[in-house]
This record gives sequence, C-alpha cells and structure tokens, in this order.
Amino acid sequence: MKDLTIRNLSKTYFDPYAGTNVTAVHDVSLKVEQGEFVCIVGPSGCGKTTILNMIAGFIPHTGGEILVGGRPVKGPGADRGVVFQSFALFPWRTVLENVAFGPKMRGVRKVEREKIAHEYLALVKLTEAAGRYPAELSGGMQQRVGVVRALANEPDVLLMDEPFASVDAQTRMTLQEELTRIWQEKRPTVIFITHDVAEAVFLGNRVIALSKGRVLEEISVDLPRPRSWDALNDDARFKELSGRVLQLVRSA
Amino acid sequence: MPHRLSSALWFCAPFIVLIVLWAVFIPYFDVNPRLFPHLSSVVQAGIEGIQDGTLVQHISASLLRVAVGTVLALLVAIPLGVAMGVSPFVSNFLTPLFRFFSVLAGIAWIPIATLWFGYGFGAITFVIFNAVFFIVTYNTLLGVSTIPIHVRNAAASLGAGRWAMLTEVLLPGALPNIVTGIRTGLGFAWRGLIAAEMIATNVGLGYMLFVARDFYRTEVIVLGMIVIGVLWLLLDRLVLAPIERATIERWGMVRRA
Amino acid sequence: MKQFLLKFWGHCVRLTARWPSIGSIAPFIPVIAAWWIVTELQIFPRVFLPGPMEVVRSFGSLVYTGILPAYLQDSIVRLAVGTFWGIALGIPLGILLGLSQRARTALWPLLLFFQAIGDIAWLPILVIWFGYGLTTITVVIVYTVIFPVVLNTVLGVRSTPITLHRAAQSLGASRIRILWEVVLPGALPNIVTGLRNGLSYGWRALIATEIIVGTSGIGFLMFDARRSGSVVEILLGMIILGILWYIVDSWILAPIERATGQRWGLVTR
Repeated sequence: MKDLTIRNLSKTYFDPYAGTNVTAVHDVSLKVEQGEFVCIVGPSGCGKTTILNMIAGFIPHTGGEILVGGRPVKGPGADRGVVFQSFALFPWRTVLENVAFGPKMRGVRKVEREKIAHEYLALVKLTEAAGRYPAELSGGMQQRVGVVRALANEPDVLLMDEPFASVDAQTRMTLQEELTRIWQEKRPTVIFITHDVAEAVFLGNRVIALSKGRVLEEISVDLPRPRSWDALNDDARFKELSGRVLQLVRSA
Repeated sequence: MPHRLSSALWFCAPFIVLIVLWAVFIPYFDVNPRLFPHLSSVVQAGIEGIQDGTLVQHISASLLRVAVGTVLALLVAIPLGVAMGVSPFVSNFLTPLFRFFSVLAGIAWIPIATLWFGYGFGAITFVIFNAVFFIVTYNTLLGVSTIPIHVRNAAASLGAGRWAMLTEVLLPGALPNIVTGIRTGLGFAWRGLIAAEMIATNVGLGYMLFVARDFYRTEVIVLGMIVIGVLWLLLDRLVLAPIERATIERWGMVRRA
Repeated sequence: MKQFLLKFWGHCVRLTARWPSIGSIAPFIPVIAAWWIVTELQIFPRVFLPGPMEVVRSFGSLVYTGILPAYLQDSIVRLAVGTFWGIALGIPLGILLGLSQRARTALWPLLLFFQAIGDIAWLPILVIWFGYGLTTITVVIVYTVIFPVVLNTVLGVRSTPITLHRAAQSLGASRIRILWEVVLPGALPNIVTGLRNGLSYGWRALIATEIIVGTSGIGFLMFDARRSGSVVEILLGMIILGILWYIVDSWILAPIERATGQRWGLVTR
C-alpha cells in the first residue's frame, strides 16, 4: 500500500454539441496517506467520477499531476484497483476466475492464484459461490465479488466509484459494515466516491465535499472503529458530522 | 435419461405420422409419380445413390464448399470485426456500411461471382464466403462495441495488457454476437449454396435437385430436399445451438441484434 | 489549428445529430471514391469491374427505356404478395402453437424440419407443380417468410407474462377479448422481429428465384446481364437491391419495431 498525491488536478474537454470547452474539474489538490480511507462526496455532475477516472487512468487529465507512491499516473494499471458502480464483473468467467483475474495477469500459477481467490472469497463469505457465474448471483453478492476482485490484486490504492449505489438499502448497510471490517483487516489506501452523505461519514477517516469541480472543505471523521449502523444510528457525533457535510453539499 | 428418451420420442412422433400418411395416401389416391413420388421410390433412390456413390459425392462436394467458405470467412471476419469494434468512432462510422453489405450478402452475389470466377468451386465458395463474412464481421463489430466500457476498464485496472484484453475481454465479450452471426450467416450461406449449385456447377446437392427436375424424377428431388433438411438440422441443432446456449444463457448475456 | 479542427468536428457532430441520415451515408463516400480510383487506375480489367459513372449511366438508360421501373415493380409486387400471405397464415398459426401445448407437440418438430429444408430447395419441385411464373415465386416467398413469423409469434405469445392474462380475466375479459387485448399486443414486438427476419430471408429467396426461374424482376435483370457479360448491370442490380432493402428496413420495419417493442419497453428475444 502506498500514498496518493494529487496536485492542481484539472480536466477540460471540448463539448462538440455546445461547441465550447468545458472545465469539469478545477484545480483539485489532495493528499491521501498510506492506509487512509477518504470519501469524496458531492451531487451528481460535481466531477467526482471524473476525478476517480483520472486517478484510475481511464481518461487523461489536462492539468496538474497524480502521483501514486511518488510515481506519476499514465493510463490504467494494476497499482490502482477499481470497484465499479455497475460491478463490471466478467460475465464469461466464474466468480473464482473473476477474483483470480488480477493474479493471472501478473503471471501467478493456476494453483497459486486459485488459492488466493479462495482466501479473498472467504473474506466476504462467498466460498460457496466460487463456481457460479456472475449472472447467477444477486446484486449484493456481485458487488462483494467486485470488491475482493480488486483487493486480490493487492493494489497500492483502492478506488471505489459509488460501489453500493445499485443495491437495495438493507444490503447496502451490510456491505458498508463489511467494507469497514475488511479495511481494518487489510488496511488498504481507499478513495471512495459517493453522493450519499451518511455513507461517506460512516466509512471514511476523512470526507471531502466537492461541488462544481472544486473542493469545498475537508472534514475529519473521528468516530471510533469498528463502526456499525446499530451503534451509529443514534450517535450524536455521527449526526453532527453528517449534518455538517450535508449542509456543505446542499448549500453549494 | 428416461425424460430425454421420451422427449426424443415425442420429437420423432410427428415425423412417423407424416411418413405413414405419405406411404398410405400417395398410392391410395394414385398420385402421378411425376408430381409426387412414392415413399418406396424415394427410399430406393436413396439406397441407389449410396450404393453407386453419387449421393455421397454430391453431399461431400456441398459440405466441402460450405466448410472452406465458412472457415476462410471466419478467419478474416473475426479479427477484422474486433479491430474495427475497439474504437467507438470507427465502429459507428462503419456500421451502416456493413449493414448494407450484410443485406446483399450471399445470393445477390451469384451473378457477379460466376462472372469473376467462372462456373465451379471458386464462384460457389465465394458466395458462401461473403454470406458469412459480412454478417459475422458486422456482428463481431457490434459485439465488441457493446461490451460495457466499465468491463474493459476493469480489465485494464487489473493489469491486462493488449493481448490479455483481446483474449480475456474482447473475444469472449463479442462471442455471443459472433455465434449469432455465424448462425445467421450460415443460414444464408446454406441457401446461397443450393441456389448457386443449381446454376453454376455440375456436382452438389443443388445440382442434383435441378438436374432431376429436367427428367421429372421427383423421387430424387424429394430425397435431395430431405437430405438438405436433415443436414441443416444436424448442423444447427448439434453444433450451433449448443454453443449459443453455453455462452449466452450461461453467461446471462442478452442476445442482441 | 487544433482549435479549428475541434470546431469543425463539433459542426459535423451537431449536423449528424440533427439529420441522422448523414451519418449513415457518410461511410459510403470513401468506398465509392475508392471504387472510382481503383477503376480509373485500371487495376482490374474494366470489363470485370466497371466504374461508378458507368453504373449511373446504365441506370439512366434502363430507367429511360422503362425496363428498370417495370422489373422493380414486378419484384416489389411479388415480395409484397408473398409477405402478405406469409403474415396472414403465420400469425394465426403462431398464436395457435403458442397457446396450445398439444399443437406445439404435434407441429413444432415438423416446423423445424421444414424450415431446415429451406425455400430454394423447393424450387425444382415447385416448377414441376406450378411451372415458371408468379405462383412458384409467391409460394417460395410465403414459405420463407412464414417460419420466422410463426417461430417468433410463438415466442411472443409464450413470453407474455401470466399476470397480464390474470389481470385481464379479473377485469372481466372474455377469452376472445383476451386474445385480442392481451395475447396479440403482447406478441406484437416479437412478430415484428420475426417479420424483419423473414423479410431478409424472403428478399434473398426472391432474388434466387428470379435468377433461377424468373422471366422478369431485378434478379432476372442481374442474371440476364450475366449471360450477356454486362457487369455494369449486375452491379446496378446489386446496388438497387441494397438501397431498396435499406429503405424497407429503416423506413418501414425499424419504425414499427421501435413503436411497439421499444416504446412499450418489452423487447423479449
């Protein structure tokens, strides 16, 4: 695991329909320490997914720099694992093969990588589903696979793009609790994108409020871990922090 | 197994009824054999064809043409389709072009194929080639361009290089479309084959049918039709449909276009 | 310079967004240009591959002499008559097979087998039965169109959700009304898809039939040209076929498909 530094990041692109240049991300700077869990929260269209896509290397940035462990980002790579909102599992691969995909790309032998995959599947209690295809799983199970697939590749930074937005409310809470548990166990560096303020406060060490491509404010979350919804639902500090972030996001 | 056996029996039952009707009614109404043959004479024509080797010769000539044309077409079409489908700009640009040519594919090329290649193996193989080629290229293009961008991004962020991207993502992602394309293309090719053989050759199933017509040998015509039907049914049900099931249904991917 | 190119690109994008047909015509321009260049450079002998201008000229003269309009009319009428009977017979048969398990058990295997024989293999015996003429051609087209229509209608009828039947029943609809109000509209998107598939086969069957047994029509025009070695007219025939299909498919069939399946959001394949 390594740290991540973003300096004066910006993104400008040409919109052919309007015929003008559009700036989606203005001058964003951010430092994420090794093993830190940072949430970026903001309304849709605020540029948060664009930032994540630039960190992942899926789209080029037009200004500033992105450094992972001191090295600049050029295109997608195995040092940054990504968990997608739409899961993006390979439908033609079984659950086990999906999780073993990263190690396979690194050239890990079949026996070895299947052992790794089994370990990670056990982490989210999906050992039983190893031989099934993604289409045969529920949304919540699919996203568990998505998370451990990214983790099994042991990336320096884990990027999560609204990963729990397309599962039902109950499953979402379970997944959030599971994610905090896994994070405490493995301590990956995480950047988590969401529009859900409560989710951001529940998960993060730090919450960054974003609006119209600019950073509004950073808020440290000093809630104790392990966190659970049962404990935090009536927690005064949690309510206070959520309230503040919500106010920030809504006022912008 | 008993379930499969009984369903196989149910599948065969209508044919048995049809054959019995044929065996009973054609002699009963004393139908002119020049209009429709007796069951016995078709069976006899079949036995004779096998014994003197002509039937086998016609079948193998037809199958060889289909095999050569199809394999050549797939070798060119799939790489080309993948290459063109990778970039959304290129695939958007080329889609209408390939739709246009898949509409023309096959039979419409018979006149010009016979002119370019002369009557015989070349012209017929060409007709099959292009019936399969355009449709498979179009479907591969479509298949690759409809792979969700997230899935390609996921592979890239897990460390897939160019080659792994091709073999692990692009080809399997396009496979359902490719298989559907092959199935459609072969359907057109098979009809194109029969049509082309009626015009442009002196051996093959289509030729066998067409020559028999000159002599009003309806038993040979009906035999040929049955052979054509059975061969296609075997190819479609035993080779193509299982592949389609193993990919599309198992992977839960919706069939497109 | 870069900004200028981007601006130009923006104009193109907006133009094709307003008139989508430009987007589908544009790719043909380089193909025609390449064709023109290849023929001008005489890479292949001109007899084997004439240029675009010669095709246009031959189009002009065939229209002027009235041959092309007459042949075109023949082909379209044959296709229309064949398609009409294919639909008229195919949809009722498909609904029967879709609703009755017994009818399906009895007829489904036969249907698959007769579809597998294929239209063109019927030509020789049809010529013996009906001679050279409209009947033979119509039968071939009906034969081609009917199978995809029947198979897709069955699929459509069977994939109509059972809750719709129950809803209609509980709202007091009679069996006939259910057929008309639920089964048919529910199957319609699939019927249109079947029709589209059927026509793409029927189209080829028409050409093949006209080539082999025809005395008029676009297929006959092409094969007649082949006998006299006139590549220009063959190419012209192919282009006309392509354009005609494009018109039928994207002006008639695709809009119907969009208006039913996509509009109602129930495309089941």
